[in-house]
Amino acid sequence: MHAYTEKIREAARRLLAEKKVDGVIGFRRGTLPLMNEPVFVRHADQVDQLVWDGNCGVNLANYLTKRKDRVAVVAKGCDSRNIVVHIQENQIARDQLYILGIPCKGMLNRRAILKALDGREPLQVEETEADVTVSGDGFEQVFPRKDVLQDNCKICIHRNPVIYDELLGDPVEEQKDVDRYEDVRRIEAMTVEERWTYFEELIAPCIRCYACRNACPQCYCPTCFVDESRPQWVGKSLDPTDTRTFHFLRAYHMAGRCTDCGACERACPMDIKVRQFTKKLEKDVKELFGYEVGVMLEERPPLDTYRPDDPQDFIR
Amino acid sequence: MLKIFVTKDNLPNLVGRLMDGATVLGPVKEGEAHRFRPLKKAADLDLSYQNSRLSPKDLVHPHSDAMFAFSLKKDDPEAGILKELPRSADKRLVLGIRPCDAKAFRLVDVNFLTDTYRDPWWEARREATVLVGLGCSRPCRSCFCTAVGTGPFDETALDVLMTELEDGYLLKAVTEKGEALLRDAPQAEAATDERMQKAEGIAEEAARKISKPFVTEPIKDKPQTELFSAEFWEEVQFACINCGTCTYLCPTCWCFDIQDEVHGEEGVRLRLWDSCMFPLFTLHGSGHNPRNQKLQRVRQRFMHKFKYYVDKYGDGPACVGCGRCVQYCPVNIDIRRVVAMMSASCVCPT
Amino acid sequence: MSQWEPKIVAFLCNWCSYGAADLAGVSRLQYPVNIRVIRVPCSGRINPKFILAAFRHGADGVWVSGCHPGDCHYIEGNYYARRKFALLKSLLEHTGIDPRRLHFSWISSAEASKFAQVAREVVETVRDAGPARHFIKTLPQWDSVWGESTAEIQAEVV
Repeated sequence: MHAYTEKIREAARRLLAEKKVDGVIGFRRGTLPLMNEPVFVRHADQVDQLVWDGNCGVNLANYLTKRKDRVAVVAKGCDSRNIVVHIQENQIARDQLYILGIPCKGMLNRRAILKALDGREPLQVEETEADVTVSGDGFEQVFPRKDVLQDNCKICIHRNPVIYDELLGDPVEEQKDVDRYEDVRRIEAMTVEERWTYFEELIAPCIRCYACRNACPQCYCPTCFVDESRPQWVGKSLDPTDTRTFHFLRAYHMAGRCTDCGACERACPMDIKVRQFTKKLEKDVKELFGYEVGVMLEERPPLDTYRPDDPQDFIR
Repeated sequence: MLKIFVTKDNLPNLVGRLMDGATVLGPVKEGEAHRFRPLKKAADLDLSYQNSRLSPKDLVHPHSDAMFAFSLKKDDPEAGILKELPRSADKRLVLGIRPCDAKAFRLVDVNFLTDTYRDPWWEARREATVLVGLGCSRPCRSCFCTAVGTGPFDETALDVLMTELEDGYLLKAVTEKGEALLRDAPQAEAATDERMQKAEGIAEEAARKISKPFVTEPIKDKPQTELFSAEFWEEVQFACINCGTCTYLCPTCWCFDIQDEVHGEEGVRLRLWDSCMFPLFTLHGSGHNPRNQKLQRVRQRFMHKFKYYVDKYGDGPACVGCGRCVQYCPVNIDIRRVVAMMSASCVCPT
Repeated sequence: MSQWEPKIVAFLCNWCSYGAADLAGVSRLQYPVNIRVIRVPCSGRINPKFILAAFRHGADGVWVSGCHPGDCHYIEGNYYARRKFALLKSLLEHTGIDPRRLHFSWISSAEASKFAQVAREVVETVRDAGPARHFIKTLPQWDSVWGESTAEIQAEVV
């Protein structure tokens, strides 16, 4: 995994020296264990800041919308799929980008590790292919890597970038036997009242900070529906109906656009599993329209197109 | 001032007694995190917590506060007239608040309670609230309270300071309100010299553990314009996704928005948390937005806390070092690092 | 609840289903009075926000009707709409809205009898589902218990 660090630096140095790009978007070492910070490197002398490890979960496609310059961006599988969606939606042009593809084996779930440590503070983290060793004052705990991945990484089926100019490592094996929709089906099996209650409890801690919306690479509307006031579609207080409306419409806006990168859940300060909304849409889009988001640059997004024989059993 | 000692076994009795006289709020575990909630029974109180995920500012400054109601009925002679909703003045007691979070109320007071305007919503809740603080004997690595003028056992904003000892709690009254509270505490034991010494030792030890990642004095002396136009903001702002988590979790972020909600022929005027991280926060009616760029918004947050506040009120900074924004920023923008840069900002001659 | 009558918001496209409602009227076809019609230029104009707004205002049911596929006045508006509706209906049901509350149909301007028939079916289905209980917006209540958010107080009332 850390071998990527050198390769990223080498590529960044080369691209900046050849003036192929105005800057490189990557990660630098964070100030906390299990955290890295996105960084924009413009000069060769800053290249050594760039790092790569299991704490690079932030989706760098977030930093690409409305750009005028030409940039290189380090992209995991999910980032690359979001880049595809950005290109499809004209948020950035392909020739503005130099994509440094990173075959990824999943990013670490900091919150899950902190939870497992139960109040003990991590000071040092060491990663290998198989394990993550976290140590602190008077303790050392080894976690099998697969147990402490982000929820979306555990079920990821596009670990290799789908689009890139340069791949910085050998492609990794894709996960074949994952059941992406186990949790969705579990909810589907409930009665309609149980489902209502399930989602009511799911979003109960919401403080309406909109971090999930703002963290999403796909959320870039000039005016979000929650900020519209004529008419006001949704109230801004902690009223449960308003909170529900917000989460519902936020998710719906992601229909056929969400790559399940997990940025929303990473950002939520209240640990709400907001992917429960978007995953259902992902499943439906796949089943109804046979579409997988951000995989084929040439395809139109599913709600931007149609087939005359689309399913319509639900229409009288 | 009165000092008493209560054993751990007797604490629930004390809490129960306090609950008879007031609504008692304290840290309650909900899911993975703690939150200040009204206690239904003494056992809900969890003083083993490190700190609550959300700061307790919502106890005085709730996320959604209905201030006025109005009618839009055509035949109502008072249609369109704002009517103030009643404000309860019931006594409340916040048990186990951290000294830093209590200090935050002090810092925000200057905004809501000025010479020319005293915000009645803030004032009523503030006055009816007694703060029984719990000293912080196990500070986090991301805490930096001692660097911003408070500390793990800072009692200045508290009515009572509690210190956890091995076998119980030492409670020290700081104000008259606090003294009244402790006077008839059940099963209180004497706060012996030995116990007081122990408590002092714990406080010193805790303060020693807290890092001091920056000094704020140089910021005070620098001109606002110099800090405002410093080059490092460009680098600081890059990673920010304007998610607002920092401001929502912050105990000293007080900014709010006022919205009218209308339903049929009735409406309410609400005060809601807002955030300087959002472009809408500063959008003018004309369409002009003075903080349209992410850089401007990110800079505002740090400048407000560490420069504008300090210059305006001669106090502060408007930060208590609780470390919530450090822990929960999804992109790891670390206020300690930013303030160190402001303090050292390379544009000044050395 | 014998007095209760379902309130249904019907979004009808200008060119087909609204015409069908018109024709049903002039043809003196009987259909229940529980329907409040909102005319829209095309079923493709229906934003999911409209449907949620209807529920938030207390509608017991929502009915959306447009031209048959291939007959859209704007050639393909209803094809796009169909995809949006499929996902919307599914997500609403998934999150706990009774499927009996949301209906879609294709009715041409000549199909007055189909309009009356579907109207009857929609009203009866919603009647079976009973008065709406979820997704209804009410005004925020005064925060009477300090420290407990309005949301919780309302949650307890529900």
